[in-house]
Amino acid sequence: MSLLAQSSAVIGMNIKSLPRRLWMSLAMVLASAVVVAVLLAFLAMAKGFEATLQSAGQEDVAFFIRTGSAAELNSSVMKEQVDLLREAPGIASDENGKLVSPELYVIVDGTKRSSGTDANIPLRGIEQQGLALRNNFKIVQGRLFTPGTDELIVGEGVLRQFEGFELGKEVRFGKNRWTVVGVFSTGGNVFESELWADAKVIQTLYNRGSSYQSVRAKLTADARLEDIQAYIKNEPRLNQEVQTEANYFAVQGEGLSYMAIFGRVISAVMALGALAGALNTMYTSVSDRAKEIATLRAIGFSNLSAFIGTMAEALVLALFGGVLGALAAFLLFDGLSASTLGGSFTQVVFSFEMTGQLVMQGIWLALFIGFISGFFPAWRATSVPVAVAFQSRG
Amino acid sequence: MSDDNLFELKAVAKRFKKGKETISIFDDLNMTIKRGDFLAIMGPSGSGKTTLLNLLGGVDQPTGGEIVFDGARIDGLSEGDLAKWRANNIGFIFQFYNLMPMLNAAKNVELPLLLTSLSSKQRQQRVDTALQLVGLADRAKHMPSEMSGGQLQRVAIARAVVSDPKLLLCDEPTGDLDRQTADEILEMLQLLNREFGKTIIMVTHDPAAARHATHTLHLDKGQFVGKDEPELQEKSA
Amino acid sequence: MKDLYLVYKNLTRKKLRLFLTSFAIFIAFLIFGAVTALQGALNSGVEMSADNRLVVFNKINFTQSLPYAYVNKVSGIEGVNQVTFANWFGGYYQEPANQVVTMAVDPDSYFEVYSELVVAPEQKANWLQNQAGVMVGERLAKVNNWQIGDRIPVSSNIFSNKNGGQTWDLVVEGIFTASDPQVDTGYMVFHYKYFMETQSWGGDYVGWIVLTTDDPALNEQVANAIDESFANSQAETDTSTEKAFNKAFIEQIGNIGLIIFGVVFMAFFTILVLVGNTMVLAIRERTGEIAVLKTLGFSSPRIFRMILTESCLLAFIGGLLGLGAAYLVVGALSQMMARFLPNLVLGPDIVLQALGYMLLLGLITGIAPAYQALRLNIITAFARG
Repeated sequence: MSLLAQSSAVIGMNIKSLPRRLWMSLAMVLASAVVVAVLLAFLAMAKGFEATLQSAGQEDVAFFIRTGSAAELNSSVMKEQVDLLREAPGIASDENGKLVSPELYVIVDGTKRSSGTDANIPLRGIEQQGLALRNNFKIVQGRLFTPGTDELIVGEGVLRQFEGFELGKEVRFGKNRWTVVGVFSTGGNVFESELWADAKVIQTLYNRGSSYQSVRAKLTADARLEDIQAYIKNEPRLNQEVQTEANYFAVQGEGLSYMAIFGRVISAVMALGALAGALNTMYTSVSDRAKEIATLRAIGFSNLSAFIGTMAEALVLALFGGVLGALAAFLLFDGLSASTLGGSFTQVVFSFEMTGQLVMQGIWLALFIGFISGFFPAWRATSVPVAVAFQSRG
Repeated sequence: MSDDNLFELKAVAKRFKKGKETISIFDDLNMTIKRGDFLAIMGPSGSGKTTLLNLLGGVDQPTGGEIVFDGARIDGLSEGDLAKWRANNIGFIFQFYNLMPMLNAAKNVELPLLLTSLSSKQRQQRVDTALQLVGLADRAKHMPSEMSGGQLQRVAIARAVVSDPKLLLCDEPTGDLDRQTADEILEMLQLLNREFGKTIIMVTHDPAAARHATHTLHLDKGQFVGKDEPELQEKSA
Repeated sequence: MKDLYLVYKNLTRKKLRLFLTSFAIFIAFLIFGAVTALQGALNSGVEMSADNRLVVFNKINFTQSLPYAYVNKVSGIEGVNQVTFANWFGGYYQEPANQVVTMAVDPDSYFEVYSELVVAPEQKANWLQNQAGVMVGERLAKVNNWQIGDRIPVSSNIFSNKNGGQTWDLVVEGIFTASDPQVDTGYMVFHYKYFMETQSWGGDYVGWIVLTTDDPALNEQVANAIDESFANSQAETDTSTEKAFNKAFIEQIGNIGLIIFGVVFMAFFTILVLVGNTMVLAIRERTGEIAVLKTLGFSSPRIFRMILTESCLLAFIGGLLGLGAAYLVVGALSQMMARFLPNLVLGPDIVLQALGYMLLLGLITGIAPAYQALRLNIITAFARG
């Protein structure tokens, strides 16, 4: 008999006897499923969070805040300073003039749907050019706020996680009342976790005079950040620092990347535990059939085919578990809307993202578990002399 | 009843329910076993040998009748009381030795002594004596996996006698052994019977083994058959 | 117990299996200990809140300020015992990444209201006399290796100094400790008045007001009285107990925390299920041996106890090692992450909880096979073997 025919005979026999070893087989499947599901849950979270923060920052948008303020919330920019920044080198224009957006950033309370408790939401004061700066901005329900009125538009993420922001609702922050007139999307990024209203109105309501907090400016294709930095340095009236918007959000998201690292460490350690469980199961399962394997070898099956048969069993079970785990993770976590504390004490709303690539990572992990937990027991079963295997009863 | 009688079975019945059918192993079994007997019970498969041994060993309960051991009834004892009774009175010897694989010979022999109130030193002495008796003093520290079938059965015998029970019950004690080893084991049983006065009941289907006993009973379909009827022996003895 | 030797021999009969099983349990409890400690650290602010302490914030959000005049008004409300206030400074030391939690507070009343903080009287007296003095929490001082008398330049990412720049030179006048190790001492406080006089915007506002009530039973009444007295004013207030506020702040971490802890605990229990399965099977393999023991006269309850002892021992070997490792890991982490995560300790409550789970694991995995052994019919057991 060829090795292939022998192996497939052994594999067939092993697989047919799986139901007899039901609990053992289930344990192996479960071990593999859990490791894969845990890993995928963390990866999907990291992926979703990354997508939310990364897609918010654009490389060709310069972002100005007061030196040392670290975040929009703490920063301030005077009106005169905005005018000066407008003249910085390398800033693009459109039909409405320079693409420069001075913005305000206030924190207000909203009530979370999940817990019923209050959490912070950013209320951004923005002007026409600010909307033009956001590539993916679009109103998905209702309309844009009318400048000069107490109307606001709400990001899709806020609508998902907080109650009371539905179209047409009146919302109160302290003494101020606002009307929700529209829902906007920015393609899933962090801006969807915000409320937007007219900058001038917020200046009035929050006693900001004519000051702003941050400035965004679209860069021309040949603009250089160094030139802008030099411009700021030579202008004593400016105390701002400049970076790309992409860079700003990357730094803001750093705290949460700890969460991803934590997830990876935990799932790696947990995988070790489950691996021990799987190995144990396979050892028990194989020693259960030590006699069968010895019989096969006694009647002339090669050691290799017995080895392959056992390996195949472990791989099939682990793969089955992996697929199950990936499926469970997909059903439980894909698109799951989550929110957490981002930079500036405000809520960032994002969705878990389970991509095909992640699922493949999970499947590979399952196969790895199958390989490890099959290899050693199979090795042991086939390296014991036949006679010894027969002697050991049960 | 005479004080010579160790065991008395009176009208013992044993039935099993199998589905709707009731299978009767014994309907009306009577027998007497005297102190110091070495009794062999023979019979074909299904004759009820093992069931009889189970009843005598107190691991099974009769459906009817009385079993009297040393003047006291044991049928109807609770499971816990039976366990105590077994520990105090019976030594078991099995076909497949039934030693604990993770314990060495001495520790296996010591097992029944764990059920007594003996100190560990006293237990150690008893174990040494028992192993000497079966000729395995030098194998005390060996694991079962390191010993031959004959040696294993001798360890099992040591285990059976270590707590000095009145009765030894042997279930095919030589069934797994070659002729020569089997004879050694049987001679050892004879020695225990003659020199130490142990009453022995041995179930076997090997006539050569049965010849080592003082009497033989033939069991068939739940009845004793043939001339070796126990009552006859009693009269002739 | 004479049977302990038997239990030990049963436990160690397959060394590899013992190792793998213990290892899986080890991992499970390592993770349990570490993650529960983490969770506890996040919640410790809630645990440590005083019962009769209330906080008053601007109703819009806690990042908005309140007029200074509110402080006096609040202290006049019935049921209010002591009042203090604070302002967020947004401090960092040397570089922006090295954040130092700094607040500008009222020096006379701050330590009265936060009575769990312990200050040496002479240090406090020195601090009261030095405008530019700062009281540093024990843990913060340790992290930065600051001593009394050190002059430390602290920068703000929010405020500018009138003298230009954003840095204040402060002098460490005292180091405060806490009566309970779980209380956070990872921050520092300096004079509110000095802060207001030196920062470029000036102004007459406070970040928030903290007060104690005469009796915790009055909390709700006092909170309502405060919020009512400022209703319809320029700055409405939101008064809550310190506990409720801390809890709400923790909850801002959001369902992400819930999801992570949920996933971890699910995995913890799955590992236990896996291990339990193997343990059950391992004992079931021994049906024949158990039948022999019973035949020899070992009573059923005695065998039941032996099996339970074995499974509990196994659970505790792996579990205690895992918990010990968690203790070391948490100890190391609390050194490394002192800045981000104060109060990371593996406390006795976690140990007790873990011990409970170990016992539960031992009992649950032992009870099924032990019960089977209890019910085991010797005759059928032999027929099978």
